[in-house]
Amino acid sequence: MAHTAPVDHLPRLTSKKDYVAFRDTARKNWAELWEGNRTVVSVGVGSSSIAKGALDIFAACRAHASNATVVREVSGNGAFWMEPWIEVKRPGEPPVIYGPVAVDDVSAVLTGARNDLAIGVRSDKEFNGIPSLNDDPFFSNQQPIITRNAGVIEPDSIEDAVARGAYDGYFKALFELSEDQVIEEVTTANVRGRGGGGFPAGIKWASGRKAKARPKFVVCNSHEGEPNVYKDRQLHESDPHRILEGILIACVACGAERGYNYIGGEYPLAIRRFRKAVADAERIGLIGHDILGTGKNVAMRVRTGGGAYICGEASALMYSVMGVKGQPRTKPPRSVEEGVWRRPTVANNTETLACIPDIVVNGGEWFAAIGTEESKGTKLMTVQGPMKRHGVVEVPMGVTLRHVLFDIFGGMREGHEFKGVQTGGVSAGPLTEEHLDLPVDFDSLSDVGGMLGSGGWVVFDQHVCVVDFARYLTAFNRYESCAKCVPCRLGNPALVEILDRIRFGRGTLDDLTLIKRTSKHIIELSLCGLGQVAPVPLLGMMQFYEEEFRRHIVEGVCPTGTCPITAGEPVLAAGD
Amino acid sequence: MAHEMLPVPAPFTGRQEIDLDDVREMISHFHYDDFEEAQELILSALQEINEVYGWVSPEAAEIVAEHLGTTSERIYALLTFYADFRTAPRGHHHMLICHGMSCYVEGSQALVQQMQDDFGVKDSETTADGNMSVQVVNGCLGVCDLSPVVKIDDAYHGNVDAATLTELVRRATTTRSPMTEEENHGSHRTG
Repeated sequence: MAHTAPVDHLPRLTSKKDYVAFRDTARKNWAELWEGNRTVVSVGVGSSSIAKGALDIFAACRAHASNATVVREVSGNGAFWMEPWIEVKRPGEPPVIYGPVAVDDVSAVLTGARNDLAIGVRSDKEFNGIPSLNDDPFFSNQQPIITRNAGVIEPDSIEDAVARGAYDGYFKALFELSEDQVIEEVTTANVRGRGGGGFPAGIKWASGRKAKARPKFVVCNSHEGEPNVYKDRQLHESDPHRILEGILIACVACGAERGYNYIGGEYPLAIRRFRKAVADAERIGLIGHDILGTGKNVAMRVRTGGGAYICGEASALMYSVMGVKGQPRTKPPRSVEEGVWRRPTVANNTETLACIPDIVVNGGEWFAAIGTEESKGTKLMTVQGPMKRHGVVEVPMGVTLRHVLFDIFGGMREGHEFKGVQTGGVSAGPLTEEHLDLPVDFDSLSDVGGMLGSGGWVVFDQHVCVVDFARYLTAFNRYESCAKCVPCRLGNPALVEILDRIRFGRGTLDDLTLIKRTSKHIIELSLCGLGQVAPVPLLGMMQFYEEEFRRHIVEGVCPTGTCPITAGEPVLAAGD
Repeated sequence: MAHEMLPVPAPFTGRQEIDLDDVREMISHFHYDDFEEAQELILSALQEINEVYGWVSPEAAEIVAEHLGTTSERIYALLTFYADFRTAPRGHHHMLICHGMSCYVEGSQALVQQMQDDFGVKDSETTADGNMSVQVVNGCLGVCDLSPVVKIDDAYHGNVDAATLTELVRRATTTRSPMTEEENHGSHRTG
């Protein structure tokens, strides 16, 4: 990374008073930064913007900025369409965001000569003809709670984070609330598992607290093996202290000695920033022995995965933490009885834990007032495909799919027609035009075969053949099957084989029946969540686009011209 | 300590020979207090090596096994289970073809097919001259607004079509120095 500030200047805090003084200084410095008469330049540096040259932009900002200017490396803010971006705050003016910026534009942007690149100002009113960011539908329709620091704080700076409210919840959990009160707030908030399961975190925590065996652990599941989902990466890169705080609160509330964060190895920047957060928090004394003089001890370990999708499954993840192959096991015992190293383990998704600090600070009632009756709070969503805009957004539960796709992300690009949207990653069926007015929450989508899942949405257009798409999704599950249990290991390749017959024009109508029967076996007999949902995308495709499957078989026509129907003998597709 | 800040690995530069002294030095940063902690560190240690050299050799696996109190057989079980690891050296250049759902929807299957038809390399294979190895990413490279995406060495190339791919492969295979972000300008802008 461009820089990793030395942690040596951080003080060691050993009491409540120490911490309050540290926090007040951080807040004062933060206020002075923005109210002072220095120009502040912030560059959004995250995995997605680095791919578009953000590090070069950052270097150029440093080279062109005067000595009096502060140049900061913040993270991306989820708006991929405007990356790489620069935010310039001149004395007495609101911050202006410019993007996408090329290296050659940087010096002109800094001198204020390129207002044509301005996207908006961080203010309620327009400024110098530049509209307010709040008028852009991408931002105005969001409700940033857990992403409110994204693109604002320097993720490598614990002072920035503290100035913006990090560890306020932890502080309250340490000094003002009892363990039971913390769990009660989380239960009242009714925050449900955001990895896709939807299990209430409060119930999990309560059983974790009751567990007698020692030591106990808390595991944060930050493994996003699912293609096209990177909400957790975004959280780690933009606000690592929020996740760490969530884990620490969980440890304190459940009486756990140690917290783990298991991060997918695909995200080196997320891993580096989170490690830096842990090192800083440890240095000032928020992790370790006798935290701030309370007598409480919490340790923290960061573990990384190796690119196996299955490791997002809780029991597989725990095996991976223990350094063996990540293969799920049968339950019971549940992880809260026997998890990492066969000790009681409370496992939560990153996004779930990221909600915790605000719940503790503002109370469970506050959180429960956001969203719908059954699904509380906000949800991070990523939208991909031939859309006008891409990125990660945070919306309250209960908004409609149409609102997200067409208002926030601007709808389809020129020349692309909406055909459907694949929900729940590779674990659920597609939704079509008629479902677009359904609310986004844990339950509504499942009723029609979709799934909120982890909030990854891939829109597909008229150029995509659903038979080929279904094969792609089934082949993904075939590849990612851990091979422990037979139905999943053999069933998924069998499905791919049948689909290949259809793609090559050799399918029969009986094959559709065969697909249903094979799928039933896989769903009913597989050991873990991956296998139990592996055929669901295929079944969904068959349900909503049956006509297209039939045309392949009966007429020998692939309407989109994707499938090699006339190519002769079936051969394996490239990549097999 | 488990989370002492690890040195930032240098970007992959196409080197294939694994310097075992380097590996020993890298591994020495992985401290542990007990058996359990040592086990937890195996994957991270392998990842460091894999990131720097592009693969893990039997000798490097042996060093990890020795340092963390396990066997190289056990290390190989992990290397072959987890998709990120390679047990054979890469080509001089390494190409990742993203085959995530977003890239699929925007046409990555054609790119995979093209590498096979035009250049004779499939997933996890290396061209005959050893110049370029190809890895099809079953997960996602995470820059979906550039779909379909190809990453060569350290540079991302967005909105790749057949002509761009041919040109990228030609450029990569006629130079031995790693492709950098510089050469990427212009190709990554979306509309």
